[in-house]
Amino acid sequence: MRRFVFLASLLMWVVVAGCPAMDQPGVSKAEMSRQLEDIARVASVMVDGDVCKRIMTKRALEFIAKSDPRDPALAGDNFDVNDEPYIQTKKTLIRLSRLATFPCDVNLWMPIEGMPGKIQVLIRNVHEISRFWRWGALIQDMPPEMKIVLETGKRLTATDKPAWVAVLAPVYDSLGDVVALVEVVGQEKLDAQENVK
Amino acid sequence: MRALYCFLFSLLTSICGYAADIDACPDFTRVDPQGAIVGADMQNAAPCAALYDSKGVIRLRGARGGYVSFHLVAKVPEGGRYSVQVRWKQSDIALETDLFREWFHFISRSRRFCPDALVPVHMPYRSVLPEPDNKVDKQTAQSFWVDIYIPPNITPGVYSGEAVMEAAGKRFVKPIALEALAAVIPSQESVTVDHNCYGTAFLAQQYPELRRKLGDSFFASKEFFGLIHAYHRIFYEHLGTFHQLGYGHGGKVGPEFAPALTGSGRMKRIADWDLYDKHYGPLLDGTAFSATRRGPRPIPYVYLPINPEWPASFLWWGEPGYETEFVNVVRQMEEHFRSKGWTHTVFEMFFNHKKRYKAFPWDGDEVKFSKDNRYFLEYGRLLQKALPPDSPVKFRFRSDSSWTMQEQFRVLAGVVNFWVLGNSEFSWYKYAPQMLKSRGDIVFVYGGTPTIEENSGAITFAPFQSWIWGIDGYVRWLTTSPGPDPWFHSDGGGVTLVYPGERFGIEAPMPSIRLKLQRNCVQDLTLLESLKGSKPTDFFRNEAARRYNASTMDDWWPPKPAVADLPGEELTNTLIEENSQPLRRLAEKVNSRSWLNVRGWILEMASEAK
Repeated sequence: MRRFVFLASLLMWVVVAGCPAMDQPGVSKAEMSRQLEDIARVASVMVDGDVCKRIMTKRALEFIAKSDPRDPALAGDNFDVNDEPYIQTKKTLIRLSRLATFPCDVNLWMPIEGMPGKIQVLIRNVHEISRFWRWGALIQDMPPEMKIVLETGKRLTATDKPAWVAVLAPVYDSLGDVVALVEVVGQEKLDAQENVK
Repeated sequence: MRALYCFLFSLLTSICGYAADIDACPDFTRVDPQGAIVGADMQNAAPCAALYDSKGVIRLRGARGGYVSFHLVAKVPEGGRYSVQVRWKQSDIALETDLFREWFHFISRSRRFCPDALVPVHMPYRSVLPEPDNKVDKQTAQSFWVDIYIPPNITPGVYSGEAVMEAAGKRFVKPIALEALAAVIPSQESVTVDHNCYGTAFLAQQYPELRRKLGDSFFASKEFFGLIHAYHRIFYEHLGTFHQLGYGHGGKVGPEFAPALTGSGRMKRIADWDLYDKHYGPLLDGTAFSATRRGPRPIPYVYLPINPEWPASFLWWGEPGYETEFVNVVRQMEEHFRSKGWTHTVFEMFFNHKKRYKAFPWDGDEVKFSKDNRYFLEYGRLLQKALPPDSPVKFRFRSDSSWTMQEQFRVLAGVVNFWVLGNSEFSWYKYAPQMLKSRGDIVFVYGGTPTIEENSGAITFAPFQSWIWGIDGYVRWLTTSPGPDPWFHSDGGGVTLVYPGERFGIEAPMPSIRLKLQRNCVQDLTLLESLKGSKPTDFFRNEAARRYNASTMDDWWPPKPAVADLPGEELTNTLIEENSQPLRRLAEKVNSRSWLNVRGWILEMASEAK
């Protein structure tokens, strides 16, 4: 029941806001945090961990750990995904982001089998904002905040970076295991030119 | 009394070996802060003496409608005040002369100084050596780039002038005789060198004072758009073109690159053209170039903001809403362009995203997996549906291809009609230029830019290669990124051909020696193209190649290696590199003399042409 009320209120936002515009002045950081946390909670329910596990191709997973001093782009060149689970998941993430009344992205992050301590962003979205992604990184060291979420299954809000709010929430598969996480992220002031490259 | 001092000073300096002088060197012979030829240009360099005749006159020659360039070197071993200028006899002032001070960059890697950025200066230029701002310890020489523009309507003949330096109370003069040939360089260059960049964030970084002054309004200000237009102008003036990609790998579009949209689904439409028209209007109608020597002309190419997230939201991919949003908005764009008369520019639907940047499930740029071609086919269908069949607006579907270009030529025939192709791989497919051009496709190759440390002739390789291959041109993938400190700790300048002028009080880009050399190469090729007459093209290609780097046409199209037929998934950069040795060897045979050999031949033919 409580969930139903919450979903209804989120739907109200969508009705009122329509498609969120790029800038919604007047949204405080506290309000931003509240909305992002709500979306993150919904994301944990709506994002299907079994589908997420099918996104990377087997071949790309084999290449992702490869390095060749003569060919530093080897892993990136061979990065590949299965379209269907990718698109299905991306659409869910887009829908979730539209629950916010301000520009928001919901990014999918997944640990990499056989590479403990590493993680990759697997799906980013249209505002191209992430509190954690190092631009261009195929894989990166797992931030401690993500490690906590993956290990405990608890949501976590990161507000340490001024003007940023990022909520990390677990993504479960059908066995109940945390197999991924979403980063629900917004910025108090978007930089319209950043990452246009 | 003063005369006595001067006499004593002259006597003293002659006893001490004081050797102030002014010198001139060919455009491809760069000198260092001590006046010696830079190391990279030493091999087979044309000596500075090559510019002089037996009487010590600087002899220059050029066709009308083009530039003649050389380095003017002020040598003041003792340092101190000096001035330089180039001037023409009163009757010969129709020649237009631009003087640039050559900035000596300290290259962090080699720990050497090498000139590249060109600071425009007024004549006479007065300063002191060492130049206070360049901070080169023990600098005894300052080089200047001299550009002399020969207007197309000038009377052919020999024009007289002089280069003059004053230092330590003495005057040093070198007479100049410039022969303006009757031949006129056509206004349309024979190959296009495209200078690419990404977004506009770099402008705020490279013009911090302007950014600070304008604050939050910077990215919508007239100064901002003026700056963008200045970048287009500098490349246009140097016989090239300029591209700015306006969206990111995740589909984020900079507001200055696209009309503002509103609504969703069947209600999605363009709401506001304001920023787009401020940005592109003067470029697409050519007025941004009104004050240039080449005159106003619409830009030949421009990226559209179309990507998998614009104008249609990826949320609707595969659903009717995607097609509706795409078709309706693109149709509005066509109507707008048509109503404005923007019918001379090629509008490029181009997908730059790569899967590795984690926003879309297919590669738009450099497709490696054949399955991704189906997205191209779908976008081709959408574009066709959006555009009226008789539209005068030139929309093209551009693909930048490498791994799978051979397959894409076949699978995407009639869908993609603008190719930008990996340089090395393209050399494997000798049949490709003829095949693609005969079906009306535009064909460029792409690659990088030689660094400051490479020999001066290296910059000519790309335009010459494009001409030899009979294609439209060459895309330098990034040309506006001089690095965090190009002045005192240069990274070599491999991704820039221009420098921000703000340090010198100029809110516009400044050219480089490499950009000037490239322009001179393109203008020579354009002149050559006009001289071909009825002779077969291969004759000119063979002759030019022989003079350039002792190559033959077969060298430019090496035998197709077995890896050329591998599926993209099985190709690696290592394999490509191993099978691109012939092309690399050709490039390695280019030195600072190479282009002078070609130019001498072209000008000789031009002087004989009726």
